[in-house]
Amino acid sequence: MSGGTILGDPWPRFINPAEFGGYLMSRSARSVFATAFAVASPRVLFLSGVGALACAFAAGAAPQADPSPAQTGASTASKELRICASAKQLPYSAKDGSGFENKIGAIVAKAMGREPVFVFADKPAIYLVRDWLDKNKCDVIIGLDAGDARVLTTKPYYRAAYVFVTQKDRGLAIQSWNDPKLKQLGHIVVDLGSPSETMLKQIGAYESDMAYLYSLVGFKAPRNEYVQISPERMIGEIKTGGADLAAAFAPDVARYVKGDSSLSMIPVRDDAKGASGEKLPQQYDQAMGVRIGDAQLLSELDEALVRANAQIKAVLKDEGIPLVDASK
Amino acid sequence: MNRLLQNVSLAALLATGVMGFASLSFANDKLDQLSQSDENWVMPGKDYHSDNFSKLTQINADNVKELKPAWSFSTGVLNGHEGAPLVIDGTMYVHTSFPNITYALALDNPTRILWQDKPKQNPAARSVACCDLVNRGLAYWPGDSKTPPLILKTLLDGHIEALNAKTGELVWKMENSDIKVGSTLTIAPYVVKDIVLVGSSGAELGVRGYVTAYDVHDGEQKWRAYATGPDKDLLLAPDFNIHNPQYGRFGLGTETWEGDAWKIGGGTNWGWYAYDPKINLIYFGTGNPSPWNETMRPGDNKWTMTIFGRDVDTGLAKFGYQKTPHDEWDYAGVNVMMLSEQKDKNGQLRSLLTHPDRNGIIYTLDRTNGDLVSADKIDDTVNEFKSVDMKTGQPIRDPEYGTRMDHLAKDICPSAMGYHNQGHDSYDPDKQLFFMGVNHICMDWEPFMLPYRAGQFFVGATLNMYPGPKGDRQNAEGLGQIKAYNAITGKFKWDKMERFAVWGGTLATAGNVVFYGTLDGFIKARNADTGDLLWKFKLPSGAIGYPITYTRKGVQYIAIYYGVGGWPAVGLVFDLQDPTAGLGAVGAFKQLANYTQQGGGVMVFSLNGKGPYDDVNVGEYQSAN
Repeated sequence: MSGGTILGDPWPRFINPAEFGGYLMSRSARSVFATAFAVASPRVLFLSGVGALACAFAAGAAPQADPSPAQTGASTASKELRICASAKQLPYSAKDGSGFENKIGAIVAKAMGREPVFVFADKPAIYLVRDWLDKNKCDVIIGLDAGDARVLTTKPYYRAAYVFVTQKDRGLAIQSWNDPKLKQLGHIVVDLGSPSETMLKQIGAYESDMAYLYSLVGFKAPRNEYVQISPERMIGEIKTGGADLAAAFAPDVARYVKGDSSLSMIPVRDDAKGASGEKLPQQYDQAMGVRIGDAQLLSELDEALVRANAQIKAVLKDEGIPLVDASK
Repeated sequence: MNRLLQNVSLAALLATGVMGFASLSFANDKLDQLSQSDENWVMPGKDYHSDNFSKLTQINADNVKELKPAWSFSTGVLNGHEGAPLVIDGTMYVHTSFPNITYALALDNPTRILWQDKPKQNPAARSVACCDLVNRGLAYWPGDSKTPPLILKTLLDGHIEALNAKTGELVWKMENSDIKVGSTLTIAPYVVKDIVLVGSSGAELGVRGYVTAYDVHDGEQKWRAYATGPDKDLLLAPDFNIHNPQYGRFGLGTETWEGDAWKIGGGTNWGWYAYDPKINLIYFGTGNPSPWNETMRPGDNKWTMTIFGRDVDTGLAKFGYQKTPHDEWDYAGVNVMMLSEQKDKNGQLRSLLTHPDRNGIIYTLDRTNGDLVSADKIDDTVNEFKSVDMKTGQPIRDPEYGTRMDHLAKDICPSAMGYHNQGHDSYDPDKQLFFMGVNHICMDWEPFMLPYRAGQFFVGATLNMYPGPKGDRQNAEGLGQIKAYNAITGKFKWDKMERFAVWGGTLATAGNVVFYGTLDGFIKARNADTGDLLWKFKLPSGAIGYPITYTRKGVQYIAIYYGVGGWPAVGLVFDLQDPTAGLGAVGAFKQLANYTQQGGGVMVFSLNGKGPYDDVNVGEYQSAN
């Protein structure tokens, strides 16, 4: 490899995720970004260490509580809760409110004694923090990783994992990225830009899979516009045999797998490692996020999440999402 | 990849008179001979020098203002018309972008279409193609005792077809590129002897680039040379780069990549070829590496962005010079290769190739061995490279204008469109001047990273493009130039600004005239010595192809496609509003729709419009009585 052609710009080097976590805890998202790309190796471009380095989170089971708002205490500044939501991010969110995060948002608003007002973005949810929340068009994002440094996150209200989805009668029983059987499979479908894509590279299956993955997004190469394989399409590919295995985040695909006895959904063991031995977490705490500085709203949300915990868990169960214990 | 469909009918062979063909000359020099005739335009570039130069002088700098339309023909297709028609022996062959229709028209009486070919294609091709649905042209093979003369064409869905030139019937068809992996075809095929060469497209989707040689008789694959990977796939001669070992020699198609990244490394070639019959080498350039995000592919990424000289019979590469190691800007290296013989600075006569690259540098190499003779900036505003080290061949980068993920870069010149794109330029061997259609477009490059959830991220870059410093940034005009360049002195004899990028290329004639089309819809003629504008005509739509010239019955004609499209027109064609769409092309060319709209066809000009219908009875309906 010739590094000499780029003057004064050493190839990106890998760093210890623990070092990296320190950067993530900083308040400045821009400096996180700049630092991340100054030091992150191409193989960990996806910053998959985020979930593992989440700030303190509550244990999975919260006490049962009355979902109605506390009678005592300060008056709320507003009777409304402006919820940032994507109009096209099923199963999480859709304009008709059929997304499970739409339901959770309404539950939590009511638990705060506020009217939920959905501010729908006609773009995928990945744009919500930068283009909606931080531009003050709305005030809360229902689901993102606990510890996301661009926002203030509540205590997590559930923990979920990546899952392997296969056709049950294939009997594949693969539970880990370390399973050598993976290398014998045909196509593996993953989200672009995910830890699963990184692992696909790790096991040497990416190059033969790439054209297939792009065929699922109409060959649009993502550069200035976010392009992603839809969860429904992913599961469709397993059912038709277009792919042998899908490695997806459970909340993405749960409703498309639920009740389908032909499919097997197994949580991925949290032992995935990247090229330099760094851990690539397969489990992530999910929380709500508000603008940095909006501490008042944050504490109201935290209280409401406790009150509404049973209802929220019922929505997640109804969705078919297998929840993961925090201690695992 | 090699599904053979053969359809040769004996009747067709007899009808073309091939069986009665007395001459025993091989087709291999016949095309070369045909290309020397001023009555023909048998291949892209006019002849194997690929220099778009004609010796005709009937139209000249003094009388060119008398040019008027002689006749015209609309193709019925609205997407951009790149390239040019072919003219052989009194027939003009017109091609279109997808659905890749071919028309044969008689020069003496274009009234009734001689034949037309509308191939059935996989409709998925439309959505896979990256940058409008263009096609750069046809190829012709003169025939022999076995097989009739052929018109060869590529289809967007990845096939190459050979048609009987007289009847339009399909003779054979091969799949060159697999549409299921996002690989399309836009290139004009290239015939040398009894071989037809075809390139590849789809680098941005990780298609590993290759060039393939097919037997022109039946489409059997003779050789295929990849741009990346192990040496056995690259087809390197044992003396590859022996003259210039500093360019790199063996093993680099894998060593300059991390792990298996070369398998999805890009380096497709969809531009132009040239050929030197004396030393049997073909010349072309490979395109950009994949993916676009340079942090994902550390290394020099050989042999993307490379000028290759390959033996046409074996495919073996005699030399390869990589112009842009580890590309950061999308400067696909597939542009025109023009051959010339000139005395260098030491007074020594050299066999040269000259190649204006997307990266803003015009490279001139000794085409016998790959020696670098000159590497000059096509405009002094080029900034991503400070210069090229002539000893090592390495560009000297300016990190301020690199596009790394931790660096917001402003005013990078050239933009990703390059200071020169797919246009086919011309060279006048008497004046020793290259006439180049140039882009004057710069860009801001803003990387961004959007975290999502569950450890997922989207890493992207927003491109904003606008006129270079010599243009009018405020009003989004002044995006192009036309220049006369001397490859030995490195100097420009003249240069003129244009409203939009001069995208299609130029034609030079011994009549001291340079012709070219513009995006805002003109065909123009300039004095080749001075650059003075002598004549222009407003075409029905903007031009992204290059003009050709030929004589018929003693009259010289100029023909050019009209039909705006290609990358500059993605905003216009697909009605896009976001200025950063089309990688910034929508913003750069936001004024284009104020000057032209879509169209598609060919216009033919002559002095005073002299042409086939001067006798008004030509083409008239003759009633039976």
